[in-house]
Amino acid sequence: MINRKFVNSTSTAQLRATGLCQSVTRVSRWVAVAAAILVANYSSAETTDTLVAEPAKTTTCYLDGLDEQFQCGKITVPENPKQVDGKQIDIHFAILPAIKNTHPDEALLAISGGPGQSAIENAAGFNRMLTKVRQQRDILLIDQRGTGQSNLLSCDDENMSVLSINDSELDTVAMTEACLASIDADVTQYGSNNAVKDFEAVRQFLGYQKLHLYGISYGSRMAQLYMRRYPEALATVTLDGVVPMQQSLVAIGSSIERGLNVLWRDCQSNSECQQHFPDLVNNYNTVDQLLATAPISQQVRDPRTNELAEFMLTRGKFTGAIRMAMYMPNIRALIPHAIHQAAQGNYQPILGIYTLTADSTDIALGMHSSVVCGEDIHRITEQMRKDAKESYIAGSMLDGLVKTCEGWPIPPEDDSFGQPIDSDIPTLLLSGELDPATPPNWGAMAQEKLTKSKHFIAPYATHGVAYQSCGNDLIAQLVDQGSLKDINGDCLQKDVRRSFYLNANTVEALPTVNTPNAIQTTAPANTAADKE
Amino acid sequence: MITVANLTKKIGDVQALDNLSFSAENGQITGLLGPNGAGKTTCLRTLFGLLKPDSGTAMVDNIDVAIDPIGAKKQLGLFPDPFGLYERLTPREYICFFAELSGMSRKQAKEATANVIAQLKLEDISDRRCKGFSQGQRMKTALAQAIVHQPSNIILDEPTRGLDVMSTRLLRDILLQLKAQGHCVLFSSHVMQEVAALCDRVIVMANGKVVAIGSPDELCQQTGKDSLEDAFIELIGTDEGIAA
Amino acid sequence: MKMIFTMVRKELIDAARDKRSVMAGLYYAIGTPLIMCGLFMVLIGQLSSPEDLNIHIKNANNAPDLVRYLSNNGINHADDEQANKITLTISDDYAANMAKAKQAEVLLVADNSDEKLQKSINRLERQLQAYSSEMGSIRLIARGINPSITQPIKINVQDKATADSKGGMILGLAIFTMMYSVFISGMNLAIDTSAGERERNSLALLLSHPMSTRQLVLGKIIAVTCFALLGLVLILLVSKVAYPFVPWQQIGFTVNISQDFMGLMLLVGIPVALMAATLQLYVSFMAKTFKEAQSYLTMVLFVPLALSMAASYNIAPDVLQWLPVSGQQQALMDFIKGRDIPMMQLIVSSVATLIIAVALAVGLEKSLKSEKVVFGL
Repeated sequence: MINRKFVNSTSTAQLRATGLCQSVTRVSRWVAVAAAILVANYSSAETTDTLVAEPAKTTTCYLDGLDEQFQCGKITVPENPKQVDGKQIDIHFAILPAIKNTHPDEALLAISGGPGQSAIENAAGFNRMLTKVRQQRDILLIDQRGTGQSNLLSCDDENMSVLSINDSELDTVAMTEACLASIDADVTQYGSNNAVKDFEAVRQFLGYQKLHLYGISYGSRMAQLYMRRYPEALATVTLDGVVPMQQSLVAIGSSIERGLNVLWRDCQSNSECQQHFPDLVNNYNTVDQLLATAPISQQVRDPRTNELAEFMLTRGKFTGAIRMAMYMPNIRALIPHAIHQAAQGNYQPILGIYTLTADSTDIALGMHSSVVCGEDIHRITEQMRKDAKESYIAGSMLDGLVKTCEGWPIPPEDDSFGQPIDSDIPTLLLSGELDPATPPNWGAMAQEKLTKSKHFIAPYATHGVAYQSCGNDLIAQLVDQGSLKDINGDCLQKDVRRSFYLNANTVEALPTVNTPNAIQTTAPANTAADKE
Repeated sequence: MITVANLTKKIGDVQALDNLSFSAENGQITGLLGPNGAGKTTCLRTLFGLLKPDSGTAMVDNIDVAIDPIGAKKQLGLFPDPFGLYERLTPREYICFFAELSGMSRKQAKEATANVIAQLKLEDISDRRCKGFSQGQRMKTALAQAIVHQPSNIILDEPTRGLDVMSTRLLRDILLQLKAQGHCVLFSSHVMQEVAALCDRVIVMANGKVVAIGSPDELCQQTGKDSLEDAFIELIGTDEGIAA
Repeated sequence: MKMIFTMVRKELIDAARDKRSVMAGLYYAIGTPLIMCGLFMVLIGQLSSPEDLNIHIKNANNAPDLVRYLSNNGINHADDEQANKITLTISDDYAANMAKAKQAEVLLVADNSDEKLQKSINRLERQLQAYSSEMGSIRLIARGINPSITQPIKINVQDKATADSKGGMILGLAIFTMMYSVFISGMNLAIDTSAGERERNSLALLLSHPMSTRQLVLGKIIAVTCFALLGLVLILLVSKVAYPFVPWQQIGFTVNISQDFMGLMLLVGIPVALMAATLQLYVSFMAKTFKEAQSYLTMVLFVPLALSMAASYNIAPDVLQWLPVSGQQQALMDFIKGRDIPMMQLIVSSVATLIIAVALAVGLEKSLKSEKVVFGL
């Protein structure tokens, strides 16, 4: 799931930077994994140790995409908490220091999603979104064990061509096993519960009396576990794109279907979109069915290098690209056009969307598997199996997850893990109506036993409400006041919708008569248009 | 005792002191009488070492001012013209400050200040700031400052200028007291009556030179005139710059 | 020593009762930080509350998505007088050109010389650019091209500034006001105790007492220095209290008058105050009257103040860091920015400051032995 604000993206770099998740190829390759990936984000780790100011707990560092100096550090913890003298791993953290530290004994801990994203690599996004909070409190980012710099468990295969690969032919089980063999770690120790212990250890190490939590997507599960384990250390909690404890990540398959349906509905209810793409759902099904029969292979120009390349469009890549586009409000606006074109045999828009995501490598797939295979795979319900039969997306996700976990054996968490959180910590829950991963009813589910909580649904936000709306102001208000009393979600109602692209160029209504002839005229453009 | 010998001083093109010699004895009031511009003030400033004579010596209690100005000044008290009061200080503070500058310890200075305030009957104004004082009050304050440290020599520069009768009488009484105590009192003036009434000896100056020295009576005899005024005019050859 | 102490005490009592000196010196020390803070509060209020910007949008119906995008970024249509100062006209053929990937035109009309508008105009232009480039990227995606190729260079910046140093400009100004206070606070006393003393005819009386000229000069220097330092202490205290009230964090940095800084400022201020005192006394003794001294001093003080100002705005050649006043000022700025203090420069400039002070004191002593200066002959 994307936790990056794309609505306001101002450059192509940022556009690329919105990266969705692991490359779609890899998503396809790790079908199951792809299905479960909640949060993705672009960034390359780059922490430069510079002058050591003092032999203190932290050193000065720079973080990718930000030009100012931050404080970075690490603590060393046993990989297996039950074997204190066993293998030790480093947990890295970064502090975005408060501009004016009026509450030096507090910090906001921002927790990334994925599972498998590095919080530190996403510092720029957090920094922008949490600007107001940071004015008075430190922002704490911790690379959760298995991600980023904290003993990264990745399963990247750099030799794969993202364009030409046929993901449906990949042997998930074998690849998972190969990755497991290449990793020097006890992968059973990389679940959420151990990670929460690390977080608490970092808090104590840094001496913060109280933390405010912000958990996005899978990070909201981490935040809830923190509430369960160390409630005394918390002042407030914000869950954004909520994954309730009761919910298995496997259920995301049906959320994607829901997301598509919301998209169809949006297009239907918009006269321009409806008029231009009256058969949108049919178009989608046509392409989906065509690819179900056989992948389509085309000679294309590489989207980046412009070299001739083979583009193998599979059903998995197609649905994956559409799914990822749904995370970002402005790319989402291109989906009807992309589907419409694909139905006419032009796969360039799909290729364009696909390529956006194809080379980002920021999900630690090993850690991702350790979480999902220990906490989610054993919680597959009958309903999920039923959904999987009816939906290709849900089905391939379930299937892939099962195969992955065959090759990645993790002892399952017991039933208490899936109990709702019973807490009176002030908790703000944010859901996006257009969210293709964690729908609003998941937020309601998480709220069940949160006695001091408010749940707001942003009607025009996708995944990561705080990045796409005034949600971040609500967080700043909650952190500042320490209570939900005065917080209302009215500002979320503001219409921030993006119009759908009607062709490859425009979101505005097309001229009524649009003859595609090529009359060249020297007359001013508007005159020419009027004549036409 | 103050002794001046052969003082010569040129200021600009003016020969302010011209081979000036005289002495002022302890237990006497000596008047330095001369018209404006005769060199009285220049002479007094030379006594304090504020001006350096081109030649000649000034001795205070046998201390050469040019050699040991600090030592010489310790033996002196100055009643200046104008008074040079600090308007924002009270007479008590003002007197005490100068007492300390004259070498007394703070404690001594305070005691001496209290004494001199009593002596000059300054009690009613002693703790008011000097701003707004009448000329008489100013005079008393300045005088207190000059005598607070009981110097053996007291120099007064035109002390009666601008004073009312009461103040003048008071000043006169004080000077006589000082004389009785054996101090050497030297004052400059261009007021004839004052000099006549007070002085044991009068030094008549003109153009930086001593014209005559003697008691008022002696001067009258010397010139064959009845009044000092006439004698004076006779001595300096003009009545310019003299007040009766 | 006792003489000097007596002198200093008298000068301080005298000065403390002089409303003019106290007002001029201490008014400045107390008032300046308060006024500065007030101004900055207003300024920051304008800068950092990106209140909704109201502009006049003509033909909004031609580009509803653009209008919504602007509104989402706090730029809205309104029809009042203020909003009419910026007009955005969307051309009639906007949609038609957009549809054909021709350049669709919008017209921004505003007076860019109006300083209050400049920020708003920039903000609007920025948002229009952002919208335009986002759309450009999506057009590339729709054509199967990765939009990142339009940005061949990724610029990574590592800013060496620290949170403290970002406030450096403000702090440079603050340090300047503090340096200035050293000069201002003692100035009236310096004039009063020199030219004023002579005007009141008390100078000759003083000199007629059994004290050396050196003692007199030292007494006056110390008294004026005390006053200058009192001004410095006051401005430091007031600054310490006042500056934190300004919401600096809203413009991205802190301004922290730390105790360490106050200590250093005071320490550095001592030689500067000594020099300021001797300089002011020297100049005032040259003048015949209070008024004359004031006008001389205004001219003379321009030099150290120019040095200080040059240092605080960093517009000066390197040699300035070795000179009196500017050297100390730069060292203080480095300190507050969290850099290493340039000890060498600080020592050289402080020693130079002291040398000037001593030279002036010696000159002062000489001149007070001169009949011309004492009696204005």
